[in-house]
Amino acid sequence: MFDNKKIKPQDIGNSSDEQLVKLKQEELMDLPAPYDKPEMEPELTEPKDEWKEEYCTLLDGYVGIDTLTRPKTKEEEEDLVKKFLNGLEKAFSDETNRNYIQPLLLSFEYCAKCNTCSDACHVYQASGKNELYRPIFRSEVFRRLAKQHLEKKEGFWKKFIGADIDLDWRTVARLGELAYRCNLCRRCAQTCPLGLDNGLLAREIRKIFSQELGIAPKPLHEKGTMLQLKTGSSTGITKPALLDMIEFIEEEIEDRTGKQIKIPVDKKGADILLTHNAGEFMSWPENPAAFAIIFEEAGLDWTLSSDMIGYDNVNYGLFYDDAQAKKIALEQFKAAKRLGVNRIVIGECGHAHKAAAVSANRMVSGEDNIPVESFLPLLRDLVVNKKLKLDPSKNDFPVTLHDPCNVVRMMGIVKPQRDILKAIAPQFREMTPNGVRNFCCGGGSGFAIMNYMNFPEWRNKVSSRMKFKQVLEAFKDTADKPDIPKYICAPCSNCKGAMRDILEYYEATEKFNIHYGGLVELVVNALADLEEPFIDFDEAL
Amino acid sequence: MALEVNGKTIELDEDGFMVDPDLWDEDVAVALAKTEEIDELTEDHWKVINYLRDYYQQFGIAPMIRKVTKSTGFKLKEIYELFPSGPAKGACKVAGLPKPTGCV
Repeated sequence: MFDNKKIKPQDIGNSSDEQLVKLKQEELMDLPAPYDKPEMEPELTEPKDEWKEEYCTLLDGYVGIDTLTRPKTKEEEEDLVKKFLNGLEKAFSDETNRNYIQPLLLSFEYCAKCNTCSDACHVYQASGKNELYRPIFRSEVFRRLAKQHLEKKEGFWKKFIGADIDLDWRTVARLGELAYRCNLCRRCAQTCPLGLDNGLLAREIRKIFSQELGIAPKPLHEKGTMLQLKTGSSTGITKPALLDMIEFIEEEIEDRTGKQIKIPVDKKGADILLTHNAGEFMSWPENPAAFAIIFEEAGLDWTLSSDMIGYDNVNYGLFYDDAQAKKIALEQFKAAKRLGVNRIVIGECGHAHKAAAVSANRMVSGEDNIPVESFLPLLRDLVVNKKLKLDPSKNDFPVTLHDPCNVVRMMGIVKPQRDILKAIAPQFREMTPNGVRNFCCGGGSGFAIMNYMNFPEWRNKVSSRMKFKQVLEAFKDTADKPDIPKYICAPCSNCKGAMRDILEYYEATEKFNIHYGGLVELVVNALADLEEPFIDFDEAL
Repeated sequence: MALEVNGKTIELDEDGFMVDPDLWDEDVAVALAKTEEIDELTEDHWKVINYLRDYYQQFGIAPMIRKVTKSTGFKLKEIYELFPSGPAKGACKVAGLPKPTGCV
């Protein structure tokens, strides 16, 4: 085992079955009060022996990829290395990686190792500056392996170009795992004086594993994009199930607000097709309910789609695989096209914002393309132009805002959500830092749904740790007052999943009355004509 | 991982969910409950389990959590008392449903 502060890129090539590093509670970044005592946190656990035998726990003891199983024979070992090298060649070929080769080469060639990115990385900071998680550590391993293979130097020259990592299946497996210790939040890219993107390099490694080795986390691939292409949604929601849920949501709206709303479905020629992350229907139906209430109150011409993939705006391909991303993007545009809408409005899902409005916009051009926009400017205009009758005193409890990386950093949408909160939440306070300089929730790039074996422990202890610190600091005036409910507004399904898990892991709802939810729920909670609150804090307890 | 129930071998995934939900029966539920540290399945447990199974058979997925609470009359807190790992990780597992997928 290596010292967490001294491990070097070449140690990834360690040819023994040794786990390279082990997290230590005393090294992790301190949390503020009331979590400033070690006994407030669950203890770190050891990986089970059966996981060590079956999966790759050789990196830090955690299993980030549930399909990366240990090779059983010499042939399988060699196969893993061979396919990895094939993938490496494809990644660096204009023919096979046309969309990404330019930024890949830029980030690959020009890093000055100034380490400005290390200060920006929540994973590295929260881990207590564990070298393994330094943003350029992964990139450097990747760089050296690629140079070693692509430049084919021997002896002294091999060392000279920094190609000095022993390559066997363990090296490949460890690198694959390490690609899933980065949230792809790109905070490091934002701060790099040369504009290099270590997040992009992490994703390129994931692509090699998925596209060439067929290795990707099941929740993203087999139960994610593949299930979405088969049933219409990564949740497995089919059309009959969706229609059943919508009917239930209409009943819920009436029960809670007295409002009778018929949610428009498949309305041809509507102005807006509203798309949700289908996880909202399953786990947070109050979110699509709140959207329906607001859109109806404001008199918008809108619809949902019950068409194949038209009701699920997720696109997990964004996290690991270009081919899968494109297949799904095409289907989503087709669903909108069939309805003949003017525009697609993306609901509270961060990566769907980026996938549909930024990435897919470049993949799908001409007649197949339909304008895609975020719900945030639209909602801001409704609130600011007083299209809704709002009474902010109904939200008179501490509220803070978590910025989803894809909405702020990737798209620059920062002010609308603040204009809304200032109008509806008298005790709104910012996290520090926020906006385009926000920190990831720790669930980004699929981590929030990779809930197998001990990976959630790594997420809650390391990648979500910075966010939990920010939450506690934002509520420092009332954090230890359990009689006052506190609300983290996280307008993104993935971020909400991460928030739910942090609050549960650290028992912060139970002990300190800290809650989480979306933005539209807060808007509806402020509607002047509601007799009962829309947000029910007791429900979470 | 696997469970032996009445001579049948029930394969479980790493998180203890059934690999083949078609093999579920009431005895399997009792065995799955033990893996969740539930010693005895009471009438209240069965009310939740039966609702989950009926919905799953009709729609091919687990029902929304809100629907479970509304239809069974149990509050979320009470579901956690019955199934300490909660509706998705606990109740769905005992009812033999596959692990929930997507951003849920």
